[in-house]
Amino acid sequence: MRFAIARDSLLPRIALAVALSLLCAAALIALSGHNPFTAFAAMLDGAAGSPHQFGVALNKSTPYLLAGSGVALCFRAGVINIGAEGQIAVGGAGAAATALAWPIDSPLPAILLALAGGAVAGSAWAAVAASIHLARHVHEVLVTLLLNFVAVLLVQQALAGPLGEFGAGFLQSPKMPAPVWLPRAIPGLDAHPGFILGVVLAAGLSFLLWRTRFGFSLRVAGASRPAALYAGFSVARITWGVMLLSGALAGLAGGIEVLGVQRRLIEGFSLGFGFKAVTVALLGALEPLAVVPAALFVGLLEAGSLSMQRQVGVPSSMVAVIEGLTMLFVLAATVRRRTA
Amino acid sequence: MMDFLAAAIRIATPLLLAALGGILSERAGVFAVGLEGMMLAGAFAAAVTAWAADNFAAGILASIAGGALVGVMVAIVTVRMRADNMVTGLAVNILVAGLTSFLARSAGQGGRPASIHLTPLAAWPIPGLSDLPILGPLLFDHPPLTYLAIVACVLMTLFLGRTQIGLTLRATGENPEAVFASGGNPKLVRMLAVIACGGIAGLGGAVLTLQQVGTFTDNMTGGRGYLALASLIVGRWTPVGAAAACLVFGAADAFGLRMQTFGLPASSYVLQMAPYLIALLVLASLGRATRLPASIGRPLD
Repeated sequence: MRFAIARDSLLPRIALAVALSLLCAAALIALSGHNPFTAFAAMLDGAAGSPHQFGVALNKSTPYLLAGSGVALCFRAGVINIGAEGQIAVGGAGAAATALAWPIDSPLPAILLALAGGAVAGSAWAAVAASIHLARHVHEVLVTLLLNFVAVLLVQQALAGPLGEFGAGFLQSPKMPAPVWLPRAIPGLDAHPGFILGVVLAAGLSFLLWRTRFGFSLRVAGASRPAALYAGFSVARITWGVMLLSGALAGLAGGIEVLGVQRRLIEGFSLGFGFKAVTVALLGALEPLAVVPAALFVGLLEAGSLSMQRQVGVPSSMVAVIEGLTMLFVLAATVRRRTA
Repeated sequence: MMDFLAAAIRIATPLLLAALGGILSERAGVFAVGLEGMMLAGAFAAAVTAWAADNFAAGILASIAGGALVGVMVAIVTVRMRADNMVTGLAVNILVAGLTSFLARSAGQGGRPASIHLTPLAAWPIPGLSDLPILGPLLFDHPPLTYLAIVACVLMTLFLGRTQIGLTLRATGENPEAVFASGGNPKLVRMLAVIACGGIAGLGGAVLTLQQVGTFTDNMTGGRGYLALASLIVGRWTPVGAAAACLVFGAADAFGLRMQTFGLPASSYVLQMAPYLIALLVLASLGRATRLPASIGRPLD
């Protein structure tokens, strides 16, 4: 159950897992009657062929990076939190609601307030999961999984009611006020600053994990619950800590998606984000800084898939095949072996 | 009213089959998060095979094989490789969603899925019984896979409660070391249980394509696998309990559809939430007494 990982031999194993899944994907593409090299070339071209497209890839990577580094922290502590899916949705709704309820004219405070609203909402949703898990001894995986569906439906309910745009015909909020739109801040690229923020926060989490007392305690709890208890660490406190942090990061991811990409809250805007965040966390070997390239990999795949479909005719659902296979191979390759 | 109950049973049928599969897997100690992918693989295999072979029986067999294939993947990664059950389940769900969509679209033209049109299986009224007032239309006037689900539910109850293999399976979920000590092979039991789970859940997917919709569309299970997971929790890991939960969820869904036709769309989201909230309530209110198999999710050495 624990994701205790031997750090020494990890990178080659993950590289092998990625290579294997790309190989399987190539075989599938070949079987479907296309040239896999042309398809991958089209994908690469669509993902990084121009500054604009690379910017799109960075934007796509951002929610995976933010939520994935939080998931990595939880898994390190042995808390299998798969609730990012719901926390992102609630975070997006929180940011949208904050921006609509308290309009501010100057951009910076407006953005900070709205993103804080998203982070608080995501954190609050994680707190619901943590309290049910800890108070009632319910398996955290079941709680976080079930709450995902409740969260997504709650957001839909909010869009059908108070947050919805009147007469829009489908479930979406009014357009966000212009001051909260995230600027295209990375010079030369068509990207919002979310990815940079994600890298900074991942570095912060890495510091927390490896250089602080709390990080040490959560690594001990992840490696061995009895050892953590023996050392006097409170597992409940650790669980609360990682859940609130990862909830805030997931909520932030939702908020950035709403303010920076969609510019309104749309039904299903974050569909699958939280589950992919788990992929990215595993691909990054549960090391927050290594989640950065992992998230970028998935973002590039997704940005490139559409042009692969357009140029070569290979269906873009190939991306989900690669993601699923990578996740399976990484799981198979990195789980702790029996040592004795 | 009869329409409403019949709709509840119709919605409950694929859920029940998936939940029955999930019970096998979870009672043997492996979380059944992969139900969604197993159902979707079954739905896809059933539609493609029934369409290509022009034969519904072939489609049904293919759905079992398709679901079981996903079960084999889950079994290898969770039981042999000792990976986390939940995350493996998520992984196969993503993989199957991508793979079925990819295959359907590769077979079609210009990125659109191949057009599959099947006439959904018609009801097989049981002679004599279907003429009974009230009970007749409710219980004895269904398409074949619905009868199959009901029979499977009874058989599963007998299997788990009354057979030696069923006992071994339950023991594997509670105390695998005891199974090992008494000469059994808990790893093998788990692997077979997960593969069987895949086959039965795949059959649940076939209900969607062969009996209800008549074609395959991307991600057409739409979360039913997770709903089945919730219903087996609410049913406390027993076939009859899960069947009751599926019927209640089916009724809630049918009720929501009714409300929509009466122009009350908003409340349907709250209704759709009910299964997950009830599952959480069951888990939280019973705490340690939920009958969650004791060794579930714990890898074996």
